[in-house]
Amino acid sequence: MIWLAWRQLRTQVLVAVVGLAVFAAYLVYLGFRIRHDYLADVVNCVPSDCASSRRLFADRYVAQVSLLGLLLLALPGIVGAFWGAPLVARELETKTDLLVWNQSVTRGRWLAVKLLVVGAAAVAVSGAFSLLLTWSVSRYDQWAGDRFAAMSFAARNVVPLGYAAFAFVLGVLVGLLVRRTVPAMAIVLAVFAALQVVVPTAVRSHLLPPVSSTVAFNGEAMQHAHGFGMSPETGASIVGYVMPGTWPMDSQFKVFNADGTPYTSTQSRQCMTGTPDKDFECMTQQNLHFSYTYQPGSRYWPFQWIELSAYTLLALLLAGVSFLWIRRRVS
Amino acid sequence: MTAVIETEHLTKRYGRKTALSDCTLRVPAGKIVGLVGPNGAGKSTLLSLTCGLFAPSEGRIEVLGGRPAGTAAQLARVGFVAQDAPVYAGLSVAEHLKLGARLNPGWDESLARRRIDRLGLDPAQKAGRLSGGQRAQLALTVAAAKRGELLILDEPVASLDPIARRAFMHDLLSFVEELGVSVVLSSHLLSDLSHVCDHLVVLAGGQVQLAGDVTDLLAVHHRLRVDGGGLDGRLPAAARVVHTERTVAGTTAIIRSPEPVPGAERADLEDVGLAYMMAMEVQR
Repeated sequence: MIWLAWRQLRTQVLVAVVGLAVFAAYLVYLGFRIRHDYLADVVNCVPSDCASSRRLFADRYVAQVSLLGLLLLALPGIVGAFWGAPLVARELETKTDLLVWNQSVTRGRWLAVKLLVVGAAAVAVSGAFSLLLTWSVSRYDQWAGDRFAAMSFAARNVVPLGYAAFAFVLGVLVGLLVRRTVPAMAIVLAVFAALQVVVPTAVRSHLLPPVSSTVAFNGEAMQHAHGFGMSPETGASIVGYVMPGTWPMDSQFKVFNADGTPYTSTQSRQCMTGTPDKDFECMTQQNLHFSYTYQPGSRYWPFQWIELSAYTLLALLLAGVSFLWIRRRVS
Repeated sequence: MTAVIETEHLTKRYGRKTALSDCTLRVPAGKIVGLVGPNGAGKSTLLSLTCGLFAPSEGRIEVLGGRPAGTAAQLARVGFVAQDAPVYAGLSVAEHLKLGARLNPGWDESLARRRIDRLGLDPAQKAGRLSGGQRAQLALTVAAAKRGELLILDEPVASLDPIARRAFMHDLLSFVEELGVSVVLSSHLLSDLSHVCDHLVVLAGGQVQLAGDVTDLLAVHHRLRVDGGGLDGRLPAAARVVHTERTVAGTTAIIRSPEPVPGAERADLEDVGLAYMMAMEVQR
């Protein structure tokens, strides 16, 4: 049975291996180049020139890193559509199920072997790509310091393995239910894409309850923010503040006085002199603070493992449904 | 005698459509069984149930005393060639034999090799490029070389031309003798089966119309020309008219009677099968 599963997968695996080899070569090359430039432009930069050389370093690689991340994000969907969906659907379409299910191997075992062999290949390909990319762009990620960003969280380390397992089994089950390869492929791609939008925007930040801490509104805080805003509706707030290494739960946080009352425009007008630096120093002396809600950086790995486990569990669940279905309903 | 297939009130529905209805049947072992019926009679449904491709909606079916496709051991006992003899287009003839060898513990490699040689199939040829007849032969080889006790062929010759049909059936007959298995084969044409089968099951409208050994069936069926007048008074008490057919040459009746019918000649198998199928059509 393993022989048959492998024989039917052979061509696809060869294509994947060749594709992966080309990518691997490029990723290794990119990895060394980024490391070289990181040392030259970021670590050992000429002090007078550091700000611009660091920015140049980032500008040089932002496009490649994002594109590779996107590709890795899409890979599980592609694997699910091209390996998962046809796994059973093509057999049903060409009626070879009638041939293979009448050999001395039960349907349950047939499906189990195919799921394991092809699923393992799918996870291995995605995992290899993910680990290579993680290594290759690690210096860039270090510079960017934004590990929780939707694009980089989902395209690094272990979560892509979970996506691959899930998308693959989803493909198998949809193929089994729809019984047609092409519609099954479309459904898998649509469902997977929808999940990759919904999970980062609406689910991931709730995996663990966020933490709040009070941060003094001062020069140091402003270094990590885009600016200070004052509007009639929301009052005073600090915009785009990110404590290094953490994942902020909001894009702006309200600024309060020491006694907990909202900072008002009347108060801020008292500091308006026309010289920005002096104005800001004046505000700092007003003893302001804001409450910062975030996911701490130490939760990066727990989040990776939680998401990996959740997708793996989903994959197992869908596999279970596939087994029930193939025994009871099909043909 | 043991039964290869035994069903009780077997019913299969696809949604609202009933393909097989309340079918009770006992097929004895050691026979070549012809399953015949018009298109849509439920032949494929019955054979698929026999292979356990799906479960019955109602009723019970036992094949060789076990639940169809219940276990790997049960699967090993039944060989099945589905309608149109599906094979993997991308695998070669030799790879199909390898598939059979890997997937069946009782695989008879020498039998498979011999047969492929005798049929003149090129082992390196991709199965997708075989002719319909060659594909049917390949599928039959894979099904037979697993050395089960029952071989089921669903419309094996439907896609073949008349010469290939004869050749396939002739070859099957000698092959089956060599294997020593029970065989069930279906067709919508009784003429395909009448020369090979020694047990007949006529299926029409999702129900069994007639079942029995060919010799027994021929012994009790008679063909009588009805020239004007009626049949009343001309038949023995236990006789029953199965079907009457009017043609330009006159009217003939097929009569079932354990006793001889005066003036009647023996009906042949095609007459008998056709009469039961026609009778079902008329009822509808």
